[in-house]
Amino acid sequence: MALFEPITVAQAMIFASLLSLMGVGVTLLYKTTKVPNFAHASFVTLGGYVNFTLIASLHWNPYWGLPVSFVVVGGESLLLFFLVLEPLRKRKSSVALLMIATLAWHIAMLGFLGAYADSLQTFLRVPTRNVVLSYRDFTLLGLPGIFYISISVTVVAAVALYFAIERTTLGIALRASMENQNLAESVGINTTRMLGVAWFLAAGLAGVAGALLPMWTLLNTSSGDTLIAAMFCVSIVGGLETLYGAFAGGVILALAQIVGTTMLANVVGVWLTGYEPVVPLLLMSIVLLTNPKGIGGMKVWKRFK
Amino acid sequence: MIAAFEDIVLFALELFAYIAIYLVVNEGLNIQLGVTGVTQFGLVFAVSGGAFTAGYLATRLGVWIFHINTGGLDFIGGNIVLTSEVNSFTQSQPLDGFALLLLVIVAAAVVGAILGVISSVPAINLRADYLGITLLAFGEILNTFGVAYTPLIGGPPGIIVPDVWAWAGANRFVASTLTLMVLAALAYLYIEYVIKTPLGRTLRAIRDNEVAAQSLGKNLPRYRLEAIVIGSILAAMGGALFVLYAGSVTPTFTRYTWTFIPWLMLLLGGLGSNVGTLVGTGVWFTIYDLILYYKYSLQGILPFDVVWLNYLLLGIVVMVILIFRPQGVIPEKPARRKGAAKKQ
Repeated sequence: MALFEPITVAQAMIFASLLSLMGVGVTLLYKTTKVPNFAHASFVTLGGYVNFTLIASLHWNPYWGLPVSFVVVGGESLLLFFLVLEPLRKRKSSVALLMIATLAWHIAMLGFLGAYADSLQTFLRVPTRNVVLSYRDFTLLGLPGIFYISISVTVVAAVALYFAIERTTLGIALRASMENQNLAESVGINTTRMLGVAWFLAAGLAGVAGALLPMWTLLNTSSGDTLIAAMFCVSIVGGLETLYGAFAGGVILALAQIVGTTMLANVVGVWLTGYEPVVPLLLMSIVLLTNPKGIGGMKVWKRFK
Repeated sequence: MIAAFEDIVLFALELFAYIAIYLVVNEGLNIQLGVTGVTQFGLVFAVSGGAFTAGYLATRLGVWIFHINTGGLDFIGGNIVLTSEVNSFTQSQPLDGFALLLLVIVAAAVVGAILGVISSVPAINLRADYLGITLLAFGEILNTFGVAYTPLIGGPPGIIVPDVWAWAGANRFVASTLTLMVLAALAYLYIEYVIKTPLGRTLRAIRDNEVAAQSLGKNLPRYRLEAIVIGSILAAMGGALFVLYAGSVTPTFTRYTWTFIPWLMLLLGGLGSNVGTLVGTGVWFTIYDLILYYKYSLQGILPFDVVWLNYLLLGIVVMVILIFRPQGVIPEKPARRKGAAKKQ
């Protein structure tokens, strides 16, 4: 038996792309709002169900729904930011209270999504749990379409994010708001609006990742929940202060989880796969306890700047 | 009519039992989060630790103290046989039942203390946000082991544990609920006592201003460790009580039920306020049970399972509390020294 097969590596690359899309948002929101956002889980799940609704009701191609998911989930995050987080931030609430607020939002969304999935099932008469859509995917050179699409979406997102943040006026305003809110306000930047932009982008990317999810694995109302630890892991391993570190974090975690456990299970025994969920948690704990700034925060990178 | 009355009694008994179990766990969270300000997002770590200890040890301890011959049965495959052997002792002797209960709680407390020391390692080094995420990760790890490592509690199907209240016969639920309420009262009084001691005042000082506390010579790591260990012991005891009350254990200790819900209860009552913890737990369960009670009358009208309304309402309630009354229903009272003059 081969130690690992091409399909395993392809799986790992799909997983890495999706994780990066989710993780980069966690990092962006941490940098802008200084809050580890638990509601990211609901962004992913909502993105998945928006896409699924379009596929099930209008019979769209699974990939056409990506922009719609982006906008709808971005809209959800604006509600969270302006209705819940802004009032709390204005009162200078502690980080713990902001965290619990995102969590409360997530729990409310869990209820909303559960009710929505049930209603969809009642009205459309299609099963809305354990959704698989990979059979609607195309195949190219022996690999599923999701392989090409997820990687291209991630690359496009990374490049677009880079240009938007580093090269445009909006990006300069955004970076100024991240660095020093008071100073940014004093030169006339509307920091609240800038944070809103950041939330829209971060949540939109998570929504796209969620929309791609049923093409690769099962979609459930708890999909985001299952992945939230992995999202934080990606963001932390990449460095919570370094935006693009999340892409490296995604690759590392996906490789560690899929290739690592598959290879080790071949060598050590199948029982090992039961412990797969521990991988992101251990990785995250080790990085936090030894090098809390993550890969992006390491001194090596200073030389390239 | 009589049947209806019995239903109400059973309903109330179960409600009080759950309030009691959660009160023990919540007191454990209150000392860490409310009093000391540790962002304990991994409460489930200690709770599941205590629960799995109870699951792993209850039958073994019973076999040991009642001198039962296992006849070569192992504790997972022969779980039902051995547990009913232990039950035959607890059925006839209340004292045997209490002895077993006490042993299991002590074992859970020891495990809770160890887990507390483990989770205090990141608490000493990391800031509130990083700490919250690390503790969240810690919490998940134990449940994964409960699922994957079958010798512990038999994997996903779980195992049953001896009924330490079997001696009460038909009144089992009365006996168990009363015991749980007494234990919860003890936990409550203990934390009430801790808050009033110099230790409690130091913990609050650390929460309110780390630098000021440090400048007065307070050793922050040591005090954080103490708070986390006390909290983890209580949380682990709560987990063990939950298992003994339910009579079985499965690896289903999620961050939702055993971390987030306790957080929400504390927020509802008022962070750091001990009366608030009690009120928050009681009010939360009452609302929850009322929703459950009315959900069946809504079942036909709505196109979805009414259980989702629980999540929706609870999430919204917490956000409303955070925005409009962040100090909770019953805010924490400032510490008062003995003999301090009351102003007006």
